[in-house]
Amino acid sequence: MKAKELMIPSPEYLHPDDTLRTAVNLLRTARRDEDKLGTKGLPVLDENSKLVGMLSMADILRAVFPFYMGMMELGEFSWDGMVEEVAAKSEDKHVDNVMSKNVITVNEDASLMECIDHMLKNRIKRLPVLNKEGRVVGMLYERDVFFAVTKAMLEKEGGAIE
Amino acid sequence: MSPEAVDPIVINTTFWIATAIFVIAYGLIVSEKIHKTMIAIFGAALVIVLGVLEQREAFHIEEFGIDWNVIFLLISMMVIINIMRPTGVFEYIAIKSAKLGKGEPFKILAIFAVVTAVMSAFLDNVTTVLLIAPVTLLIADALDVDPIPYLISNAIASNIGGTATLIGDPPNIMIASKAKLEFMDFIYNLSPVIIVTMVVYLIAIKFIWGKSLKTKDELKDRVMQMNEKEAIKDPVLLKKSLFVLGVVIAGFVMHGALHLEPATIALFGAGLLLLLSGIHNPHHVLAEVEWPTIFFFMGLFIIIGGRVKVGLIEMASNEVLAITQGNMFATSMVVMWFSAFASAFVDNIPYVATMNPLIIDMAQKLWPDLSGIALLHKPELMPVWWSLALGACLGGNGTAIGASANVIVVGMAEKAGHKISFVKFMLYGMPIMILTVAVSTIYVWLRYYVLGI
Repeated sequence: MKAKELMIPSPEYLHPDDTLRTAVNLLRTARRDEDKLGTKGLPVLDENSKLVGMLSMADILRAVFPFYMGMMELGEFSWDGMVEEVAAKSEDKHVDNVMSKNVITVNEDASLMECIDHMLKNRIKRLPVLNKEGRVVGMLYERDVFFAVTKAMLEKEGGAIE
Repeated sequence: MSPEAVDPIVINTTFWIATAIFVIAYGLIVSEKIHKTMIAIFGAALVIVLGVLEQREAFHIEEFGIDWNVIFLLISMMVIINIMRPTGVFEYIAIKSAKLGKGEPFKILAIFAVVTAVMSAFLDNVTTVLLIAPVTLLIADALDVDPIPYLISNAIASNIGGTATLIGDPPNIMIASKAKLEFMDFIYNLSPVIIVTMVVYLIAIKFIWGKSLKTKDELKDRVMQMNEKEAIKDPVLLKKSLFVLGVVIAGFVMHGALHLEPATIALFGAGLLLLLSGIHNPHHVLAEVEWPTIFFFMGLFIIIGGRVKVGLIEMASNEVLAITQGNMFATSMVVMWFSAFASAFVDNIPYVATMNPLIIDMAQKLWPDLSGIALLHKPELMPVWWSLALGACLGGNGTAIGASANVIVVGMAEKAGHKISFVKFMLYGMPIMILTVAVSTIYVWLRYYVLGI
């Protein structure tokens, strides 16, 4: 099994200059297979269609989480309405200020084990899949890898998949 | 007095090698193009490789090499703080202080300044700022006020407060070690002037920010509703930490009588707290020691040791003597004001590391018959040490790069979306630096030259 057989092909993507308002709209409604459900992450491509980052749900949470709260234990001292205030101030921020820039990718011909290797070692749940020219051709999700792995287990037992 | 110090300075290849390493290393440190620790380590290695110092001198001889007193004092205090931090005591103190101000923005600013100064007298300035500034930003957000005055004031107050004691700021630790001064010497000689300076500082900020900071009553409630008791995560460890901290401070107060160096007291405290804390593996606590700072010190001591060995420091001290003509009041004043302006623009740690041997060399020339403590503690020399400490520590307030605490708050302000430009910091920092050094000038003049106490 290779990355390109498991990936969700040609995903939707964001531009670094998009505002967070645009980005979260897309994050909330992006399609996954045939179901219309919120996605956990979108690739960010520049004008040359080169991958420059990933924007995930965690990045959005990080955008409303003041950095100083990460420096000490201050969670107990926040107040009701704090998130809403920061969220309102953050909607005009640009995607490139919030996205994760160190993106781990796999080649479309990468083996399944290589994909698992990246996911476990980097604690990530999704991998952009690149073709030989370095263009993003799809996204590989932990969920799909999980199904591939469990399928292998169940088939070995000789039982049918329920 | 050591016999080699009277030898004439020989200008040979080694002299030029030591000079070149020093000039290039300091130039690179000031330029901030390469991390200062890497420069210090490589410079120190070159000093030994090129034969300016022997390894034995760099590692084991107090006059030329690493000052382990400074190193172990810094490491031990960092270990103690690293163990204390997760107890939540620092969050508790900061939230309690904000509530003490009843949510009034200026009152909170003033109380934070005092708390920061007091904490900084016992902890490293950078540590203090890292423990206070996050809460400062939270309170500023809660009150919807500009956080910049709070951040700038945090840095300035930590630099002022750190001047008060032997352990408050690295320059004092270095001066104490070289001049063989005790913890209580700093309390008697520097704490009084720092208390006065803090009062002057509070009056100054009343004029600067007293009117501009305003908030709404309903926002004050946000602060008043914070329950500082929730901050305490580990009451048992907190009690143990406070006990050890008490032992350490008592140890500092009595270290002269106990004939123990401050580094020994701090090391004892760190070891005791590690044992009492119930930590099974000290890996984390030790990994969080600021090793880049520690290695910066070690490298720097060796580079300066090379300069001392070849006589470069002696040449500089001849120059200073030529200017001051042996007038000790003039020397104190030159040292204080030159140190202040020098420390405003360059790191005060390499500056003081250079000045210490220079002052000792100068003293050897002025009083060739004396040596050891009799020389270092010659009554005429004491005000020069205090002037060096006051100038080098308070000078850090002058610019955004004058002290590590300033660099940290400027970085935090930028992260919070409020840029503090170099000029903006200087607009507050420089007048306050001049004001506080002026207070120190009057103090040194009055106490040591008029009253003679």
